[in-house]
Amino acid sequence: MKLMRAQDVMGRPVVSISSGEDVAEIRDVVYDGEAHRLVGFTLNKRGRFAGRLKAVLAAGSVAAVGPDAVMIESEAAIDDTADRPAGLDDLKHARPVIGNRVLSADGSDLGKVVAVIVSTGDVPEAVGYELQPPDRKDTSFVPISAQMALSGENLVLPAAATDFVRNDLAGFGAAIATYRSADMEGDR
Amino acid sequence: MTTDTFRNVEGRTVIAADSAESIGSVRGFVLDTAGRTIEAIHVDGHGKHAIVLAWPAVQAFGADAVMATNGGGLSIVDDAHQRSAVKGVVSMVGTRVLSVEGRELGTIADVEFDTGSGAVVRVATDHGQIEASRVHSLGSYALVVDEAAPDSASTQL
Repeated sequence: MKLMRAQDVMGRPVVSISSGEDVAEIRDVVYDGEAHRLVGFTLNKRGRFAGRLKAVLAAGSVAAVGPDAVMIESEAAIDDTADRPAGLDDLKHARPVIGNRVLSADGSDLGKVVAVIVSTGDVPEAVGYELQPPDRKDTSFVPISAQMALSGENLVLPAAATDFVRNDLAGFGAAIATYRSADMEGDR
Repeated sequence: MTTDTFRNVEGRTVIAADSAESIGSVRGFVLDTAGRTIEAIHVDGHGKHAIVLAWPAVQAFGADAVMATNGGGLSIVDDAHQRSAVKGVVSMVGTRVLSVEGRELGTIADVEFDTGSGAVVRVATDHGQIEASRVHSLGSYALVVDEAAPDSASTQL
């Protein structure tokens, strides 16, 4: 699974597959910290002095997030009048996740969230958090799980997820794939 | 199928077959938004005064001259799509290639087309060739194409 930090997508052009036009660029990432879910993106117009676009891009309307552009099937994906996920209209109430502390199930401090990690390729999804551990210089990556409890500013990492913590993004991609398939089997 | 390339035919004389008069030269092409077919040839003039020859009026795309049927296919550019093409806002050569996965695959160096039908056959980039069947669209930002199948080796021109 190819991964990236959500904020790295900011400023990337949004390009329509059906027209080859750059219809917007990513202004900001909208993330629901409570549900651990990537909601979508707010947009800027293209061009140096262009301002904010009223239209937004829901995560589900993205065809692919690539290293050079965010692809949509057609201009209809950022249609202003189309149905959009509630979270996108409700930015002020979205619960921020950056800065939250992550604790392991046995009570050790794993670090503060510095980034949301999303999968690239087809429909982007939040799959992990990048943490800055209190005692180390380098960061680590922990998987997002539906069972991740959030209270106040503390997140608790389920014991089952501890084995999938990694110190590099590439290794984390492989760990996440394993973790998520195991997580799904557990649900059945 | 006889093919030629955009770079190779640039400047080729366009002649009206009935009068044997020169009506211009190949300055560029207007392609459909799918990036697969030539709709018209830009033969004379600039910007909103540019004159294009509709592809159906091409009687023969010869090695030394393009032969046009009697004048009917000639017109001054009349819509935004044609204007953006003759102004170079949308053009094949020099445009970036972007995969549907959002990855840049280089810049278009030349385009091979079927001189009989006006269909694009393949696109040459600085990274290799792309068959027309992979092309989704041509816009001012990019030529959008399918990612290469992992087993197909790309060849350099």
